[in-house]
Amino acid sequence: MYEWDFSVIPMNADLLIMGLYGTIKVFVSAFVIGFPSGLILALMRLSRFKIISIPIGLFIDFLRSTPALILLFWFFFAFPIIIGLMIQAFLAATLTLAIVAAAFYAEIFRAGINSIERGQWESASALGMTRLELLRRVILPQAIKRMIPAFLERTIELLKTTPLMAAVAYSDLLFQAMDIAQKTFRPLEVLTVVAGIYFMMIYPTSLGVRKLERKLAKSGESTVH
Amino acid sequence: MEFSYNWDFNSILFNWDVLAHGLLVTMQISAITLTAGLGFGFFLGLGRYSRLQIFRFPSNVFVELFRNVPALVVIIWFFFAFPIISPFEVDAFTAACLAISVNTAAFSADIYRAGIQSISPHQWEAGRALGMPYLTILRRIVFPQAIKRVIPPLTSRGIEAVKLSTLASVIAVNELLYSAKQLSAIHFNPIEAYTAVALIFFMIIYPLTRFSYFLERRLGHSD
Repeated sequence: MYEWDFSVIPMNADLLIMGLYGTIKVFVSAFVIGFPSGLILALMRLSRFKIISIPIGLFIDFLRSTPALILLFWFFFAFPIIIGLMIQAFLAATLTLAIVAAAFYAEIFRAGINSIERGQWESASALGMTRLELLRRVILPQAIKRMIPAFLERTIELLKTTPLMAAVAYSDLLFQAMDIAQKTFRPLEVLTVVAGIYFMMIYPTSLGVRKLERKLAKSGESTVH
Repeated sequence: MEFSYNWDFNSILFNWDVLAHGLLVTMQISAITLTAGLGFGFFLGLGRYSRLQIFRFPSNVFVELFRNVPALVVIIWFFFAFPIISPFEVDAFTAACLAISVNTAAFSADIYRAGIQSISPHQWEAGRALGMPYLTILRRIVFPQAIKRVIPPLTSRGIEAVKLSTLASVIAVNELLYSAKQLSAIHFNPIEAYTAVALIFFMIIYPLTRFSYFLERRLGHSD
């Protein structure tokens, strides 16, 4: 019978906290870059000029249908050779997660913007608003409310993708856990606890999102089916 | 910054067999995890929908657990931690298949459940009025209608499982991404190797995605 020994966890708590900090750092940076980029991509995809909308559409589809780990390896191992500069694991991870998130956010923005009826566009342009003004003052305020649940879901998804960066040796929570597990010969305890930490970060958030979703669905303001 | 890199895909073309073998392993992982995950997910979905606490509680715990722990963490757990308590041998391939299967099962369980729930309760009542037992109602009335509604989301889930198969490379399963890693280590061609693999995945997954949109529209209309 295996004898569990959890004392390795408090002994290495500082390393785990450092890892957690690394995870949060990449998560926040990727969100801060990815979210506005998603809006820009969505607007470009909705552009009336085919020369913009078609390549951007392809770009979004490419990012959505290529596994994130491949993109991460590409940014970490291949991209530096092309630009002739070394890039750190942190930057590669942030870039990858940010552009993947941007592609998914873009589709949510697009669905939200498309869900506002044509009449509103027409009446606003009849008032003499420019396209951008119209978007900012009429369409987006309504669309964003409908997009909230989908955004939150996607943001949780982003948090769930962060462990990938352990694969390029960035010291996030998972990487630290693997490191501690190797040094202490206690992989079962360390990895189980770390899985628990991820669960405790993600589960309450998804419960909250589900609750909000139901609330918004009742008031008829959701694009999530 | 200079952009004068000379692309050279020859080292990829000459080693196509390495990538082909990787692709085969990727397909094996996908086939196993899709069968196991979508199959087991079905029973979990029934369990979550069940009126009996003994079925509902464990199904709920399983689903919430594996929906909310990142897939890579689960893979690492199955590879490094699970063998210590496992009664059977666990190699990297098995660990990856187990982890991706439980992830797929957890996510598909809710799709099945939503599909069953979407059938109006009157249909259950009508079935009961005809004297049908629970399982017969499920099999003859609910499933045939629910299946149309669950196919599009299950297809997306299947696509997600194929994408997850790349995570197996982290524990050195020689699937497609890992083959690219090996190629690039031998031939110093990370740009070509990773670009080629990204394109291969795109060419597999993109048509599947389009197909799932098609199914969604098609089956959505007929409802």
